[in-house]
Amino acid sequence: MAVVHKAIAHNTEAEPRMNRRRMLGWLSSFGLFGSAVLSAFSNFVFIKPRATYGQPQRFNIGRPDDFPAGARIALETKRVCIVREGNKIAAISTTCTHLGCIVGIADTGFNCPCHGSRYDQDGNVTAGPAPKALPWFKVSLAPSGELEVDKDTEVEPGSYLTV
Amino acid sequence: MRLALAIGSFVILIVHGVVFYNQFFHKWENYQTAYFDQARSLAKTDSEKAALEGRKARIEQRIVTQFGDTRVDRCATCHIAADDPRFMQHAQPIKTHPYSAELGDVQANGKWERRHKFTDFGCTVCHDGQGRGLKQEYAHGDDEYWTEPMLGYVVQEQWRKEFKPFLKGKEYMQANCAQCHTEENFAGTPLVAKGRKLFFSQNCYGCHRIEGISDGTLGPELTEVGKKFRIDYLWESVVDPTANMATSIMPNFHLKPDDVKALVIFLKSRRGMNFAETGLARYEAVLNLKKPAEGPAPSAPEMTGPALVAKGRELIDQHSCGACHKVLDRDGGIAPDLTYEGAERDAEWIYDHFKDPKSRTADSIMPTFRFPDSDFRAMTAFLVAQKPQLTAAAPADTYKALCQRCHGEKGDGHGPIAWYLDPYPRDLTKAGFINSKTTERLTNSIKKGVSGTNMPPWGGVLKDDQVNSLLQYVFTTFTKEPRKEIKPLQAPDKNPVASAADSIARGEKTFVVRCSGCHGKKADGKGPNSLDILPRPRNLRNTAFVNSVDDHRLFQSIMYGVQGTAMPSWVDYGLTQNDVGDLVNFIRSINVKLPARTLNARGY
Repeated sequence: MAVVHKAIAHNTEAEPRMNRRRMLGWLSSFGLFGSAVLSAFSNFVFIKPRATYGQPQRFNIGRPDDFPAGARIALETKRVCIVREGNKIAAISTTCTHLGCIVGIADTGFNCPCHGSRYDQDGNVTAGPAPKALPWFKVSLAPSGELEVDKDTEVEPGSYLTV
Repeated sequence: MRLALAIGSFVILIVHGVVFYNQFFHKWENYQTAYFDQARSLAKTDSEKAALEGRKARIEQRIVTQFGDTRVDRCATCHIAADDPRFMQHAQPIKTHPYSAELGDVQANGKWERRHKFTDFGCTVCHDGQGRGLKQEYAHGDDEYWTEPMLGYVVQEQWRKEFKPFLKGKEYMQANCAQCHTEENFAGTPLVAKGRKLFFSQNCYGCHRIEGISDGTLGPELTEVGKKFRIDYLWESVVDPTANMATSIMPNFHLKPDDVKALVIFLKSRRGMNFAETGLARYEAVLNLKKPAEGPAPSAPEMTGPALVAKGRELIDQHSCGACHKVLDRDGGIAPDLTYEGAERDAEWIYDHFKDPKSRTADSIMPTFRFPDSDFRAMTAFLVAQKPQLTAAAPADTYKALCQRCHGEKGDGHGPIAWYLDPYPRDLTKAGFINSKTTERLTNSIKKGVSGTNMPPWGGVLKDDQVNSLLQYVFTTFTKEPRKEIKPLQAPDKNPVASAADSIARGEKTFVVRCSGCHGKKADGKGPNSLDILPRPRNLRNTAFVNSVDDHRLFQSIMYGVQGTAMPSWVDYGLTQNDVGDLVNFIRSINVKLPARTLNARGY
């Protein structure tokens, strides 16, 4: 036992802390481990699609003048309702929060034809199975002077863009 | 060993790093970041600032569904400022797409509004290119395998050097404007209109078919040519027709580069189906297609005399007959000289030939043009009225003026237009043929022409002594061998075998066994051996020719062969005179007499 112990002790004393062999070992493991991390990371990034094949979620809807004061105009293909009150404009989703039907515009707000959900003018649920209020989307003024709706960004109900 | 492992592991790390960088760091992200930075510094009002809030680099795509196949245009990923008027003076790709009144953009209160909104049209509808590409070389179509490089902007590497300078310029995009603006004289597409005019004035329509525009059958159909080919190929095909296919018979029209450009733009605009069309609209358009007027136009006043001749001259110029023929100071170098046409042919022949060239010259390649009858009458009147005097006195000059175009300078039948003629002009240097024919027959061929072939009757141009001296000139200059006395061959003057169904059936059987190798199963002279033989085997369905030849000559040719050609003497191969009689009956039976003419109701 003592001999073995002595031998190890002798070794550690005779050699410097970082000899060439150990240095190379460290470098190799750094290289291999680094590339393993990189490839694992790129696999995770790869899983997330860079672009999807749907209609773009941010789109232009035309000039503010196209929407007269007091208008509530539903854009069928974009599934959003443009509301203008005075010089304030907002976009409310027309996709029912229950099962995704397109809600129709009524005097009281929005009515879903599928299961009878009802929403008020601001998109709050008043009747039916719908669990949540209709979301509002961000409306901004693009540099070209057109209104831009971004369906990726929801905003607080009641926040308008002033034009 | 450890050193190698260390180096190896670092190499692997570097390779991984490079791949990672290439895959997840994109140029377009830099462009977008640069754009956002500049836009933020340019933003003055709160709403402008609010619009930029939360924007980060991502792939911007527009899905265009209204113009033909669904397009995914990601051009705005790099060209992110295309619709931002503040970037007018910046460098590409962060630059505003120019506004222009020509494109229908309108300026109101100092702000431009686009007529063609990018959200609706995308980019590739007008520009071509590869909409999904996220790297410049792919998106712009620099890649040689991409068939739609950006029109007028991108010149691909492998395009022919001498054409490259011509193939750049925004005007090429007019071809894409015409995808929706199909009106013939749309103000925005002057070059498409010019190309369309050239398509008619240069007689392209005579050979090429474009649905709804022309009905030629000789050349390839061009209805979808713009969809199939890039502009460099179209340019090459116009200025150098044999570049791609050595056997092409399309003439080189020697157009000016400006004209070629217009023609190429017009052709590029032919994509078969317009972006703006629905299937129903297209169906209706085909139903309502205006066909060129057949028969006489009722309202046009009937012209006669010099007025008709003058009109004919104008029409021949207008219809570009000179693109192929030699007529009116133009020479296309493809088709026969029409200078002496009036002295050679009568009005009836010329008019019939206009209406259907194949009715007179069975294997003519001249297209059947669908002009109104009045045009044909006027052009016939002009050609008939041309009676120029032959000034050349010496036979050598006569040969040069009249014969050389087909029979060639050396008399070997390889004249400049010989390639386009079927049957091929006779090789006058072949003593075996020339010296086996009597002088009388040769004189007749010159004076009366050879029916059904391109040899016209020169009797109207040359006097008898001129014909004789011309023939002597041919003997001494080309044939060279002295003429020998020709022994008359024993052959019946009239077919002794009566033409009956069983005789024709026997004749057909013999024909298939003995003759079809060269003359073809259809007797059209295109048998499997025909390509190895010059002169080519006779087309026995050339009715005009067969009807002009009497039984005696047919018997002679079959029984004793034709010297100087590949036709053997069939008596030596065991055919009796009666077998030949059956054959003659068969050949006659597939060439019934030309039907009574119905075309001459109006004077011709």
